Amino acid sequence: MQFVMRIIWGAPQLQRSHRYSRAQRRSNQQQTVLTVLSAEGLNGPPKQGQTELAEDGWISRTLAAFRTSGADIQSVPAPMEEMRVDCLAALRTQRMPTTRNEEYRFTDIAPILQLEPQVAASATVLPGEAIAALVEASPLKEAVARVVVIDGAVASQLSDTERLPQEVFVGSLREAPALPAAQQLGKQARLRGSPFALVNGATAQDVLCIAVPEGVTVESPIHVLYITSGASSVTAPRLLCTLGADACAEVIEEFVGPAKGAEAHFCNAVAEFDLADRAQLLHGYVALEGRRALHMKGTLVRQAAESSYKLTEARLGGRLTRQDINIEQAGEATQTEMGSFLLCGDEQLHDLHSKLRLEHPRGTANQLHKCIVAAGRGRGVFDGAVKVEQKAQKTDAGQLSRNLLLVPRATVNVKPNLQIVADDVKCTHGCAVSDLEESQLFYFRARGVDAAMARKVLVYSFGAEVTGEFAYPELRARIQAAVDRTLANVPILEEPAAEAA
Amino acid sequence: MDIAAMQHSSHCALLRGVPHPRHTICWNTKTRHGKRLRCSTVTLCSGQVLLEVKDLEAKVAETGNTILRGVNLTIREGETHAIMGTNGSGKSTLSKCLVGHPDYEITGGTVTYKGENLLDMEPEERARAGIFMSFQSPVEIPGVSNSDFLRLAANARRKQRGEPELEPLEFYGFVMPKLAALKMNPDFLNRDVNANFSGGEKKRNEILQLSVLEADVAVLDEIDSGLDIDALRDVADAVNGLKRPDSATLMVTHYKRLLNYVVPEAVHIMEAGRIIYSGGLEVADILEKDGYEGIKTLIKKEAAAGKEPVAA
Repeated sequence: MQFVMRIIWGAPQLQRSHRYSRAQRRSNQQQTVLTVLSAEGLNGPPKQGQTELAEDGWISRTLAAFRTSGADIQSVPAPMEEMRVDCLAALRTQRMPTTRNEEYRFTDIAPILQLEPQVAASATVLPGEAIAALVEASPLKEAVARVVVIDGAVASQLSDTERLPQEVFVGSLREAPALPAAQQLGKQARLRGSPFALVNGATAQDVLCIAVPEGVTVESPIHVLYITSGASSVTAPRLLCTLGADACAEVIEEFVGPAKGAEAHFCNAVAEFDLADRAQLLHGYVALEGRRALHMKGTLVRQAAESSYKLTEARLGGRLTRQDINIEQAGEATQTEMGSFLLCGDEQLHDLHSKLRLEHPRGTANQLHKCIVAAGRGRGVFDGAVKVEQKAQKTDAGQLSRNLLLVPRATVNVKPNLQIVADDVKCTHGCAVSDLEESQLFYFRARGVDAAMARKVLVYSFGAEVTGEFAYPELRARIQAAVDRTLANVPILEEPAAEAA
Repeated sequence: MDIAAMQHSSHCALLRGVPHPRHTICWNTKTRHGKRLRCSTVTLCSGQVLLEVKDLEAKVAETGNTILRGVNLTIREGETHAIMGTNGSGKSTLSKCLVGHPDYEITGGTVTYKGENLLDMEPEERARAGIFMSFQSPVEIPGVSNSDFLRLAANARRKQRGEPELEPLEFYGFVMPKLAALKMNPDFLNRDVNANFSGGEKKRNEILQLSVLEADVAVLDEIDSGLDIDALRDVADAVNGLKRPDSATLMVTHYKRLLNYVVPEAVHIMEAGRIIYSGGLEVADILEKDGYEGIKTLIKKEAAAGKEPVAA
């Protein structure tokens, strides 16, 4: 259909309008309702242009759903209000991307756009049995603090932050509106975030703040458990994490979904991290939502001089998931490490878009991306950009992407790229899309283990190079269980001695 | 040591013009060593033939380059052999061919192991049957713990021998004494296979695998490369400790220093895909002193004196 149109009209603009026409028609219908709502339900005088909400149909509908729920008239702390206004303004002319945008070429977000946005009426969902069960099933006994975020709202009754050092604040921004760190809210996402991050900024109902002041070390991890209850079809969890100079912390973000059989839902999460000089952050990101979940995650990091940021990511759940990670270097000699493991089963698409920009000397950066596609209808997407600017002399950067395609028709689209402007740097990058490594298989066989068994062991452990960075057995076991579930029916791992000949 | 055996051994050595090897081990006096003299490169008075390589030819599967051009070698129970040779002479290729490395294709000759055609066996079957090769640069397998890997390997071999497989706890009991005997830190078991191991640790890990598999023929490919003196001594002690009367060792090395610790009965010199000379430890001395030219001079001298070259 589209192909035919291109021949007839030959103008991409027309194609675009064709694509949007249906959604826009729907959004026009919505707008009649909205006008009424905005006239009576707004907090303060109506701001200019708010009756239109947005040009884009989906954005319009999402903002409308948020408004219908009444969440926007609740009084919110000033930094949140500021972010909201800012994002709403930006969204007015924002268009959601299509596969014709380079950034979304291989990731069709249609399932998200087709989802009817609906936000549950009450801002804080009361924890029911299902949620208690999910909390129960996701323990992390080494954690010094646990925060449960339900549908984007911090659930303090399920959280435990007692044992944290006194100077450290972990909780909803509503509880600490005057927190100095809150000034950072939305700053990074506004400049470097994706369209989804803007939508999050406009619709976030709460903000979880983690503020570790100067010189404080939090020895054990802070476990943030994001639960999607299924009550809303769109949620927007938001995290702001700031580390003062010489501060040190570990934050593990874990996303779990509603129980089986739930409707599709879209979790649109954003996390901003601000690291002052010499701060050290270990960041864990584990996505274990249900198979119908749609999941977008924006991670924005700003690293001051000599700070160190290390991401360990394991993404296994969800139907369509994507992380946009954007790291900016704000000073010399920063250390950045990113490890990602993505496992795509049947009808799963996992996308990782990372951008790292080095603008100061003597930085080091290392990225390892590992992806398994275990089903013909699975797809992995990776676009990793490392940009070494003129000033970033003596940079040491490495990037490696390894992809394993286990069945025919399994697909990965990988685009590792390294742009180097500086001339005195050490940079390596590599990408492999392959079957298992022959040398590893032979090593097993030379020790008496047959090829089928060796293959199995190697596939199951493929992601362990990344997930092994988690020092917590319970978390590793949850990840491994998800790996086992996805790989359970892969034919190549079942047939004995398939490759022995 | 049996006196008769000692006499036999010195008798053999005299007959062949090879000085008496310093450490000839003659465990099995029943061997009919006499008639073997002419057909094998070096015949020492020990046990049953474990491995017999005859006219072995092999090429690189991918490029078709012929590497081995007729190798002959017989290894008996209780023996230790060393192969030395210039770079590219085929030493490592020979080791890899013995374990069935897929990079090489056998184009001629036979290899018999315990009376069976080794070349018909898959690499894993060879390993289970008791042939072990230590890799020159063992591959790293991140994500697979050393203990899991070792247990899989040990159980594969045990299954073959009709022994019960070991559960994780039982395996722990099985492997701990072996670790202790090799003076290795138990921490080794928790680490991923060779991942972030130093050169020395990788070599030790190979020897640990040899120990766990209780192999009958150990092919040690440059087990001494990249080791400092202390590590070399430890590894050599471990190799010596793992020798059994019914097992054999074949070492591939560039340097004599390993042979000072693990003393071979026979030293073979390889060149251009053949074993061109075999003798006792003194061959390594000549090599150390005069290099490969020294060996060639020796061969010429012996040929002039009417002696048959040792290798076929």
